[in-house]
Amino acid sequence: MNDFILSGLIFSPLLAALVLLLIPNRLQQPIRVVALSGTVVQLILAILLYFRFDGAAFANGHTGYQFVEKLNWIGFSLGSLGRLQIDYFVGVDGISIGLVLLTGIIGVIGVISSWTITKTVKGYFLLYLLLMTSVMGCFLALDFFLFYLFFEFMLLPMYFLIGIWGGPKREYAAIKFFIYTLVGSLFILVVMIGLYTSVIDPVATAAYLELLPNGVASQEAVLQVQQMLQQNVISGSELVRTFNIPAMMEPANYIPGSLLHVLSGSVLWDLPLRFIAFLLLFAGFAIKVPSVPVHTWLPDAHVEAPTPISVLLAAILLKVGGYGLIRIVYPIFPDAGAYFSILVGGLGVLSIIYGALCALAMNDLKKLIAYSSVSHMGFVLLGLASLTVEGVNGAVYMMFSHGIISAMLFLVVGVIYDRSHNRMILNFRGLASRMPAYTSFVVIAFFASLGLPGFSGFISELMVLLGGFSAPDVTGMLPRWMTVVAVVGLLLSAAYYLWALQRMFFGKYWIFPELREKANIADLTTREYLMLVPLAILTLLFGIFPHLLLDKMGVAVTGFTELVLQNGQEQLNMVLSTIIR
Amino acid sequence: MNEQATLLSDKINAILSGAGSLLPELLLAVFFLLLIILDLFKSKSIKQLLPWLALTALFSTLVIQILGGYTSGNEAFLNLLLSDGLARFGGILFSATGIFTILLSLQHKPLEKLTEGKGEYYGLILILVLGLNLMAKSVNLLMVFLSIETVSIASYILTLILKDNRRSIEAGIKYILYGSLSAGVMVYGMSFCYGFTGTLNYTSEGFALALSQANGLLVTVAAILVFAGFFFKISAVPFHFWVPEVYRGAPMAVVALFSTGPKMAGILVILRFVAPFSDSLAFSDVQLFLGIAALATLVIGNLTALWQKTPRRLMAFSSVSHAGFLLAALLAFGTDYTSGILFYLTVLLFMNFGIFLFLQISEDELGVEELEHFSGLGKVYPYLGVIALLYLLSLTGLPPLAGFMGKLLIFTNIWEAYTLYNSPMLLALLGVGVLLTGVALFYYIKIPYYLFFKRNLREENLVISLSNKLLLAFFVLPLLVLFFKPDLLLNWIEQVLAQ
Repeated sequence: MNDFILSGLIFSPLLAALVLLLIPNRLQQPIRVVALSGTVVQLILAILLYFRFDGAAFANGHTGYQFVEKLNWIGFSLGSLGRLQIDYFVGVDGISIGLVLLTGIIGVIGVISSWTITKTVKGYFLLYLLLMTSVMGCFLALDFFLFYLFFEFMLLPMYFLIGIWGGPKREYAAIKFFIYTLVGSLFILVVMIGLYTSVIDPVATAAYLELLPNGVASQEAVLQVQQMLQQNVISGSELVRTFNIPAMMEPANYIPGSLLHVLSGSVLWDLPLRFIAFLLLFAGFAIKVPSVPVHTWLPDAHVEAPTPISVLLAAILLKVGGYGLIRIVYPIFPDAGAYFSILVGGLGVLSIIYGALCALAMNDLKKLIAYSSVSHMGFVLLGLASLTVEGVNGAVYMMFSHGIISAMLFLVVGVIYDRSHNRMILNFRGLASRMPAYTSFVVIAFFASLGLPGFSGFISELMVLLGGFSAPDVTGMLPRWMTVVAVVGLLLSAAYYLWALQRMFFGKYWIFPELREKANIADLTTREYLMLVPLAILTLLFGIFPHLLLDKMGVAVTGFTELVLQNGQEQLNMVLSTIIR
Repeated sequence: MNEQATLLSDKINAILSGAGSLLPELLLAVFFLLLIILDLFKSKSIKQLLPWLALTALFSTLVIQILGGYTSGNEAFLNLLLSDGLARFGGILFSATGIFTILLSLQHKPLEKLTEGKGEYYGLILILVLGLNLMAKSVNLLMVFLSIETVSIASYILTLILKDNRRSIEAGIKYILYGSLSAGVMVYGMSFCYGFTGTLNYTSEGFALALSQANGLLVTVAAILVFAGFFFKISAVPFHFWVPEVYRGAPMAVVALFSTGPKMAGILVILRFVAPFSDSLAFSDVQLFLGIAALATLVIGNLTALWQKTPRRLMAFSSVSHAGFLLAALLAFGTDYTSGILFYLTVLLFMNFGIFLFLQISEDELGVEELEHFSGLGKVYPYLGVIALLYLLSLTGLPPLAGFMGKLLIFTNIWEAYTLYNSPMLLALLGVGVLLTGVALFYYIKIPYYLFFKRNLREENLVISLSNKLLLAFFVLPLLVLFFKPDLLLNWIEQVLAQ
């Protein structure tokens, strides 16, 4: 079972980066080839993993991870606080499998798109490969510390990739990106500290207390330790504190008296501390998603970043935010998740509408698409907040589908920018007559994004809306008007896409006179076909056969919603009861 | 008469029996004398030898203290000095500080070419390390004062060592003025303590008992006055005004020394000094005072650093902010915070010397005086640029560097203390400390910003010496290792403390 395929996925780009270090700067072509092979290996492993992954395997949120690798990494004594254990703990489940596959695909597309980069090629691909390692690590880590390490490590390569290879205002955009996401990750850091000081690893503690007869972890031993813990009979110095995310999901693993225990009764500004922790974590990940009102870094970063980096940013980096919410925030704080569902759903709807309205007002095609990302990621929040099986399935599906489609959208913008060094919508008219193939891909991308049936975007939006509409009856989470408003977002997105299409591509051919001399309006090259065709096929494939992904993730998502709903309601009652007392 | 004689011989015996625990300090003193005497010879070859002699001295004290075992238990030297695990670990750090200072000095041409006072320079580094060792060992207020003054006087002269540098002189004068002021205030506070308790031995039970019975307000005032001296050493607000001046004027090696050695020793002294107050009525006031000081130091250090235009001043305020962070760490009473603090100090040692070495290279070889002068250098000298980036990330506290681990441990302790006491001060420290990390990123990232984003304005392509390159790597290596395996150091600290 265990052949270290996940480690292979995480570290294959890093390995390629190490090989790059040995190649002299001037050999640009070998550098590109090595970078490509690093990501291709990652893609092959991701595809293998996808086929070997058993979608029907039991999963309930705590367990059900497959291909798990767990190694002791850091362990030291905290004195009277017991021991601290950090593991190299990775695994994959239905929620992450799609994102792993997506990361593999986009990684290769990104390298192909980067083929035209000529400025310090070696540095560029080094950073690119580092970025791929850390994104993949984020999706596979099951230890909070490991996750945080990869999460933070995405910032730096991205900062330099935007700041060195970006457009005219790249420095401003890079710093804004860095500061925003760093502040977000600091929020996460605080909660992470609070969590690991509150949570024990029952298996490791049992081993420490010598409760495991043959050194084999058993369910009884775990239960025994959890009971002993809740009865307060284990002394502080014998506890093994952990960053283990599945352990954090079980209330029985929280140390009585610690601030994040459900019965701690600790409050801050009249809110239970668990709620504050939820809000901090949510804020941290919402910046990454990004949700209105903390989205303002995104348009700047997108506009200034070079095309391949925009693709990576939109297609996989944003997904880390949504993934963090599903993997970490909701399962660990289901009580607060249930309590704040209106807030999360409301921000989702706000992002949908506000993002769409901004997109409507943009003259820069790339900005339009950046805002459409904000709008579409709002659906992830909405689906998640509904806590229905359909809604969460839709949210996860949306992340995958938006990954494919937004990659296509940014590539399409890159094509016109490469040819004319301009991407203002009003500078072009009637491009369809000169670039028919290009126009057809634009149409596919736009229609896929606005949710035309047959494309993957449709499936995800449909499921989110179904979930949203049934939520008041099934889970009692969201008021129905929110979903109604979200539907308006769909109309708006049709409006801005079709309007842009009409203005730029249809009618008589014309481009802005000053651009005419420099511009070389030719149709797609082979390299561009190589990137756009697979993406177009994928969005159709997953639009027509959604079960390809739904079968893999269904069990995990159902397990997730059950866990969050059941535990959420129970824990919410407990938290609120201690407050009132 | 006879009684007095026996008393005297008892005391002499006590001193002699305790002398073993002073082995590192004695060694330093002997080598100091040797350096001073050798400095009298005019021969060039002897002058060349001086730094290496100093290195030998420090290296042997480092090895002695790492090996340990030279003390016979925790014998207090007539109740003046205590050679426990804390002091021993401190001693290891200080010896390393001394060694690093000399290594940096050897790379600095003006110091190398110094004809007069070379022996004094290296001798004073030994004396300073000696003073730091004594600070960490002192359990008597008078001894604390003496050791702090030893460090201060050595520091004044080290600041002034390059006499032909005008800035150096201005910095030295300011340093002396602030230093003597804060020393005076500290002694005044100590006299209060002596008045309350009748003893100068502040770790004795009598001291804590008498404090707990004394008037709370007066005890608070006395404690605050004493802290003036400590704050001066660790460059905490409001005794930080000397910092930018001295950092601007002194040789880089000396600046690196000031940013680590006295700060580490000061923290150890405070660590010992606050313990007896835990029973007194004034405890919450002392805690409040320390908390406010930590907050003020953090905020002022970080926010002032934002506006700096020269790397030296930037690092000055960065150093102030680190002092604030350490003070915050000290407030996690009730948890086992000592090993976390020692870990952070060790990390601080490597990253500060690393970054100051980088600044020294940039200043000496590349003529960088202001942040703008870094423009484009990262592309011309990628090795230099990447390593500088690593130091700055560690200073900010980002993974994968040990600065992150240090911050994580300290935040953990503060959180744990908050769980125990629910004090809003701790929550404020946690919140401010975490948020200011974001601010810190904003000013630290300026250097890589110029290094990599801006265009290089100059054409020349200089060669950075191999020794400099090796040293740069030497300081960065522990930062990486201690991120991935912090338990190596933490377990060792645990062992040393349990001695």
